Amino acid sequence: MPRLLHEIVDESAARAPDAEAFRFSDSALTYAGLAERSARLAHVLAAEGVRPGDRVGVYLRKGLETAVAVYGILRAGAAFVPLDPKLPPARLGAVLRDAGVGHVVSHDALRAQLLALGAEAPAGLRLVGPEAADLEAAGLETISWAEVDAAPASGPLVTWDAGDMAYLMYTSGSTGLPKGIVHTHASGLAYARCAADVYGLDPRDRISGFAPLHFDQSTFDLFAGPLAGATAVVVPEPHMMMPASLAALIEAERLTVWYSVPYALTQLLLRGALDTRDLTALRWVLYGGEAFPMKHLRALMARWPHARFSNVYGPAEVNQCTVHHLDAPPSPDAEAVPIGPAWPAATCRVLDGEAPAAPGVPGELAVATPTMMEGYWNRPDLNARVFVRLGGDPRLGGERFYRTGDLVREAPDGALWFLGRMDRQVKVRGHRVELDEVEAVLVQHPAVAEAAVYAVDAADGARAVHAAVSLRPEADPPTAADLLAHARAHLPPYALPARLDVAEAFPRTTSGKIDRRALQTEAALPTP
Amino acid sequence: MTTEERLTTYIGQELLADGGPPLQPDDNLLLSGRVDSIGVMSLLLFIETEMGVRVPPEDVTIDHFASVRAIDTYLAGRQNGSAHG
Repeated sequence: MPRLLHEIVDESAARAPDAEAFRFSDSALTYAGLAERSARLAHVLAAEGVRPGDRVGVYLRKGLETAVAVYGILRAGAAFVPLDPKLPPARLGAVLRDAGVGHVVSHDALRAQLLALGAEAPAGLRLVGPEAADLEAAGLETISWAEVDAAPASGPLVTWDAGDMAYLMYTSGSTGLPKGIVHTHASGLAYARCAADVYGLDPRDRISGFAPLHFDQSTFDLFAGPLAGATAVVVPEPHMMMPASLAALIEAERLTVWYSVPYALTQLLLRGALDTRDLTALRWVLYGGEAFPMKHLRALMARWPHARFSNVYGPAEVNQCTVHHLDAPPSPDAEAVPIGPAWPAATCRVLDGEAPAAPGVPGELAVATPTMMEGYWNRPDLNARVFVRLGGDPRLGGERFYRTGDLVREAPDGALWFLGRMDRQVKVRGHRVELDEVEAVLVQHPAVAEAAVYAVDAADGARAVHAAVSLRPEADPPTAADLLAHARAHLPPYALPARLDVAEAFPRTTSGKIDRRALQTEAALPTP
Repeated sequence: MTTEERLTTYIGQELLADGGPPLQPDDNLLLSGRVDSIGVMSLLLFIETEMGVRVPPEDVTIDHFASVRAIDTYLAGRQNGSAHG
C-alpha cells in the first residue's frame, strides 16, 4: 500500500509497467514511463535548488506533462501549486508570491503568458520546461524539457512524511485575494483510496481527465485513477468547448468513467449530437461542483441507461465528503436530488452555531475526514474560523471538523439536502466565486465609490455574475469597458461580471446596507 | 464586409476584449484560451441570427470552429450546400 502520493505510480508501475497511465490525443505515458520521467524531473528540480517543503508551480496547458510535473515535484519532496493559465498577470503574481514559489514547471505553449507576467513575477523565478531565449532575456531563468529528459532517472534522496504538504490549491477568497488550501500526502491518498473503492475503479477503466489541474476534481484522475492502475484520458482544451467533438472523443476512447461539472454534461446533452454516438462503454457518470438542472439530468439519464449516475459533493478543502447514487432518473416533479449521505471516509454533522442541530433542522454542514486539508496556507485567522472540535471526550478536544459554510438539512433517511450558502459564495460552471471578492476588486478602481455584485440564473442552467457600481462624484467617469478591464486584470475569467451597470444610487435596506436582492430584479442600464 | 471580416470583428469586439494582439485568421480560438465555452455559444448565436446560417449540433466541432478561417470555410460549404439542396 502506498504511503505517499508518488508511490501510487511506483506501485502501479511495479504491477503493470506497460499499462497506460495517461493518454492525450495520440500520445500516451505508461506507468513505467511516468515513474521514469517524473524521477528525471525530480532530479532536475533538486539540482535547481528545490528542497523538501518548497512549493513549485505547475503552469501548463492540458497534456501529459501535467502528470510528470505533479509526480516529479512530489518526488523531489516539494508541494505542487496548480496555476490556472487563464489568470491575469497580477493575480498569477499574487498567487506566486503568497505561495512563495521559486520554481515553475511550464512549457513553450505558455511563452506569451510568461512574458506578460513581467514585473509581477517574483524576483529570481526559475522556469523548468520552456526553451525560449526571450524568457531569459526577460529575467526568467529557464531549463528545457529536453534537458529534463536527458537527466538521470533517479530522483533525489529525500525523506518524506505522510503529513508533509503535497499540494497547495488556490481558490476564491472574499477579501480580493485567493486563499491557498494545503493538502498533505495523507489527505490526498485517503481521498484516492476512498474514491477508487467507492467507484470500483480497476485497471480496465478509462477515466475522463476533464478538469484542469487547478480545479479540485483533477485529483480524481490524477490520484484515484492511477491508484487503481486505470488509464486517464486527458481531454484536450478545444474538446471542452466543442460538445460534438467531446462526444466523439468519449466514443473513440471508450471512456468508462466520467467526472465533470454538470455544465459540461448539459452541453453534451444539448449539443453533443449524442444520437450519432455509441457511448455504451460509460459505466459511471460522476458530477459535482454545482447542482444539475433536473430536466437535463433526467434527459441524460434516459439517454444513457447503461450508466450509473452519482451526485458528488465536497469543497476542495475536504476533496469529497458525500455522494448520492441515483438509482433512477429523478421524478418529473423533483426539484433537486440530495448531495447524499457521508461517503465511507467522512463523518458529517449538521450544526446550529457551534453545537449539533436538532434532527431535521437546517444547519451548517461540518465534516471530519482524513481527506481534509491541513488548513489554509498562512491564514491562522481563517483556520481559527473554519475548524471546530466536536464530540468525543471533551478533555481530549474532540474530533476536528471543517465547517463548509453550506446550509443543509438531514432527512430522516440520512440523506443530506443542500439548501444554499451561509455566505455569499456562488458557483459559476462549478467554479467558486466569492461575490465579496468581486466587490472588493471593483472598489479598488479609483473612480468607484461602492459596488454591489450578485448572481443571476443564466442560460443552460449556469449562473452568471452581475455587478453595479456607484461612482465617486469627483472622479472622471469611467466607461463600463474601463471597469471591466480593471476587473479582468485582477479576477479569473469565470468571476468576471457578465453585466456591469453604473448606478446613480443603490436601493438600501432599512439598516442602510445595499439591497442586492432589489438590484437583482431592478432594470438597469445595458452594458455597452 | 466579407464573412471572414464579420467574424473577426465580432469575435474581436465581443468575445476577446482581453487587450491581446489583434485576431489573425489562423489563430486557434479554442486552444489560446481567448474564447471560452460561453463565448463559443455567443458566436453560434451570432452566426445563426446575424448571418442567417443554421448550425446543427453535430457540426459544432473543432474542425469547423478552431479558427476564423475554419469557420469561414465551414460556412461557405454550408451555404453552397443549402443553395444546391
